Amino acid sequence: MEAANNRALQISRRAAQLICAYAVIWLLCLANWMWIQFEASVVSWLQAIVFVASLPISISWIRWATRPSQRQTQLVCFVLTVAYVLLWHLGVFSFDAVEWDVPRTHLARVGTAGLFFVGLAWSIWAVERASQVHESRRRSGQSELPIVRATPATSRAGDVQSDQRINNPFDPSAWYYGRRNAKLNQSVTALSGYSVAFLILFLIFTQMGGCQELYEMPAGGGQQQTIAQTLKVQKVIKKKFVVNPFSAISFKVPPIDEVKLQLTEITEHAYTVGYGEGAGAGFAGGTPKGQVRFIRLEYAGGDWDQDFGIGADVNMLIEYGIRTKQKVAKQTESRTVGQLKNFLPEKSPPMVYLTGQRNISISDSEVKVLREYVIDKHGMIFGDNGGSGHFHNQFVGLMRRVLPNVRPSKIPLDDSIHRIPFQIPFLPYVAPHGGKDALGWRVDGRLVCYYHPGDIGDAWTDDHSGVSPEIYEACYQLGTNVIFYAHSEYSKWLASRQQKAK
Amino acid sequence: MAGLATTESKVRQMKSISANLVVAFLACIVLTRSAYAEPLDQLPLERWKELREVERYQLNIAEKYYREKNFKVALSEYEKFLTLYEQSDGAAYSQLKWSLCLIELRRQNTAIKEGFQSILDYWPDAPEAVAAGYYIGRAYKDIGEVRKAKKAYQEVLENHPKHLVAVYATVDLIDIASIDDDVDDRVKLWRRLAFDFERTRESKNHCVAASQQLAAYLFENGSFEEAVKALATTYPEDQLVAQVASFSRGPISRLTGNDETRSKGEQIADKGVAWIRQRIPTDRSTDEAKQAALQHWYAMADLHAASRREDKVAGTYEQLSKSFGTNDTTLQRLGDWYKSITKYDQARAQYAKFGNKIEAQNQIAYSYRQQQNYDAAVQAYQRNVASDPENQARWSSEVGNAYREARKYDQAIAVYNELLKTDGENAEKWLWLIATSYRDAGKHKEAIGYYRQCNNFPSNYSEMAACHRAMKDFGEAVILYNQVVGGAPNSAPWAMLQIGYTQEQAGKKEAAIRAFQQVCKNFPKDRYASQAHAHLQTKYKITVTLGGAKDE
Repeated sequence: MEAANNRALQISRRAAQLICAYAVIWLLCLANWMWIQFEASVVSWLQAIVFVASLPISISWIRWATRPSQRQTQLVCFVLTVAYVLLWHLGVFSFDAVEWDVPRTHLARVGTAGLFFVGLAWSIWAVERASQVHESRRRSGQSELPIVRATPATSRAGDVQSDQRINNPFDPSAWYYGRRNAKLNQSVTALSGYSVAFLILFLIFTQMGGCQELYEMPAGGGQQQTIAQTLKVQKVIKKKFVVNPFSAISFKVPPIDEVKLQLTEITEHAYTVGYGEGAGAGFAGGTPKGQVRFIRLEYAGGDWDQDFGIGADVNMLIEYGIRTKQKVAKQTESRTVGQLKNFLPEKSPPMVYLTGQRNISISDSEVKVLREYVIDKHGMIFGDNGGSGHFHNQFVGLMRRVLPNVRPSKIPLDDSIHRIPFQIPFLPYVAPHGGKDALGWRVDGRLVCYYHPGDIGDAWTDDHSGVSPEIYEACYQLGTNVIFYAHSEYSKWLASRQQKAK
Repeated sequence: MAGLATTESKVRQMKSISANLVVAFLACIVLTRSAYAEPLDQLPLERWKELREVERYQLNIAEKYYREKNFKVALSEYEKFLTLYEQSDGAAYSQLKWSLCLIELRRQNTAIKEGFQSILDYWPDAPEAVAAGYYIGRAYKDIGEVRKAKKAYQEVLENHPKHLVAVYATVDLIDIASIDDDVDDRVKLWRRLAFDFERTRESKNHCVAASQQLAAYLFENGSFEEAVKALATTYPEDQLVAQVASFSRGPISRLTGNDETRSKGEQIADKGVAWIRQRIPTDRSTDEAKQAALQHWYAMADLHAASRREDKVAGTYEQLSKSFGTNDTTLQRLGDWYKSITKYDQARAQYAKFGNKIEAQNQIAYSYRQQQNYDAAVQAYQRNVASDPENQARWSSEVGNAYREARKYDQAIAVYNELLKTDGENAEKWLWLIATSYRDAGKHKEAIGYYRQCNNFPSNYSEMAACHRAMKDFGEAVILYNQVVGGAPNSAPWAMLQIGYTQEQAGKKEAAIRAFQQVCKNFPKDRYASQAHAHLQTKYKITVTLGGAKDE
């Protein structure tokens, strides 16, 4: 019997060690996935295996905890809580892997809300348990005293009036809970304390320390010029015959010469699309593992995620890669305004995309973050009116708050953003929601915001919203120009900073 | 021979006359244009005369397209002129207009670098070079290159301080200073415009505006004397008092509206009143002199009113009445002031004292309407109907309007029907008002009947369609909207969109979608295409909206 117990103890000890080891690996993988983002294929595979393994592990834990011989409510709850965290992250990871951005975002939010309530339930349980322990200790202490017939009111009053002033927050008789409704006050305090603690932890994990992000441009170089296509004309010179026109023999006179266009060779780019000196298409300020990413900005009050995850942004990113031959990310991303703060000044995204058709509700602190992003971090906002005159006013109003001393101006059709790398002789749009002119906000001659008034994002979708090929092609070219402009300006800025540092 | 000589001289004379006529015609064109266009992009008449006929011919073609706002063609015509007559006196002018065409075609960078800059480089002494310098600054400002614009404007101010371009450059620099929120710079530039520049026909408006803005700013800051000096640059002595009152009222009202700045506002008001009091003419021998003195008292009352000191306003009017007696103008002003402080009964008491009893009832009725006391307003108007038979239609119309405002549509319709009988000249107007009253009363069938009698297509058809929609007679509404689409091209996008909404209301989803897509496809540049596109996306989750356009 004892041997069996020892054996069981050994097994459970080994199981605990395995669980601890798995927990450590899982946390490391989570940290890498969320913040470190070390993208070696081995690491990615290991990460995937570890996360996927959480499914059978969670199921086996739940089955173990709910065995009839094992059944303990607290243990079941604890296992369910841990399983909830693991499975939630597995879900988010899976959606992320298959690039279902909208479900991923929703699951991340719903999961966070769920975690709050799970944590709240545990907090209430812990406080209740602790207060029960204190009550029982007090009762047992009182039972040792001579029996005095006392009403509940006098007993509570007696506690408070006793010489010992109780400071322990888990004890409902603590002095600061008062004489009346002490239990209720304790519960409210616990709820408030837990909410504040959860909020702080949430901010720490998502916004503040330890969550610095990096945006690295692809290394390389190139020229900031309009793409010139070379037309290769091959002149085929045929043999010439000298024919005597007075000859008795009749000749079929061949054409003097024939010009053949070698159409398969005409589309070669005359130069590399990029900025600075370096091999291949890219940017001098980039890194070998860097790539062009397409980040959509999340904001409150409206529909930041209009057409998000159904092809528009991804198509644009892919088209950018094809047209410029620069390295691009596999998938598009989204960040909240607050998260822009997490990017390091010289490793922040050169451009973020903002669209929608309803309200834009941005706090003063977020406005500050945006101002810091466009001025101090040399970023650029690519605004796109997704469907209303109201959004136009919202966007212009937002920019007025971000840059109060800069007035928007109509961007000329011969501006470099409309010429490089693609010459766009007109402004293409799907519908004129905010007029027919692209607006720009310039700081020191640089466009810090490009606003497209007519739903350019709709032309990037798989069905191109039914617009003509000429229009959607121009929309892809315009998108390419804007992304390229932002990255080249960022690259120039990095180069000037490096020169200053020298 | 003599006869031949006479014929030759006649021909020469005719040629001379025709040449003069051409010049006169061109002068007319130029002068007519200069009445509304900026003078910087005009070729002076003397220089037109210098051009050869072929040059004038080519330039006229280009000018014609420029006037018609066909800038693409005008651009190529100016370019043609430059190619053909590079050495002409009109070349610099042609280059300037070529650059302005580029500005209109939203190619400001090319206009600056290849247009205006070329004028400065190749024709530095031409009058167009001065304009080109200014236009460089303006083009930079328009595209948001504020720093470059400032630099260009400074160059203009340094090189041509007395030229009209300096005025324009200063005006634009004021705008830039406003964007930068640089108050000191703005005040400096206002002063320069108000005090330093010669006021010509072209520069006058800018200088006047600057003097007014400077005065308003100085009043707000308590520099009363300085502000008066600024206004004195624009207005002669006899208008100055009224203008000082007019431009100081706003700042005084703003300052006294805030507890912190009230005393400052009151001080400015007191200064203003004292300044006006010193200028009250003592001569009251003629009606004109009396009127001039009265205007001073009115100005003082206005300043007191702006400073929200009711006792002083009442006191000023009391003194005024003692000195000059009462007249309708004084009573009107006093009544209006009472209304501004929501003392309507006292206001009406003043109106009632009018010598012109018709106008008195009109003002009383209007004040009742402002208080939404429509019955009393109707009574007042009806008194005018009885006592002013010459303007019966006008007062009856006011009665009808008051009934409509009171939502008493039946009474309003009765009044308009009566007017339809008595005032046949304005039958169209009364029919429309009857129809609108029926529509507002919810009697759509009757409304349609009257709208049908109106001739203001497509407005009447649109209203009839709306009535049919309200009666859930969607088929008829669609037919009417289709008639608008066919008959009124300007309203076609709107009508097509309404067809979509009507089909939607009728539960015909497919037809509605088709209509919305038609709006996007047929009118892709119209604002209603934007609405249709957004509606298709949000309501039906349809991304294929068939729109798309380009703006060249």
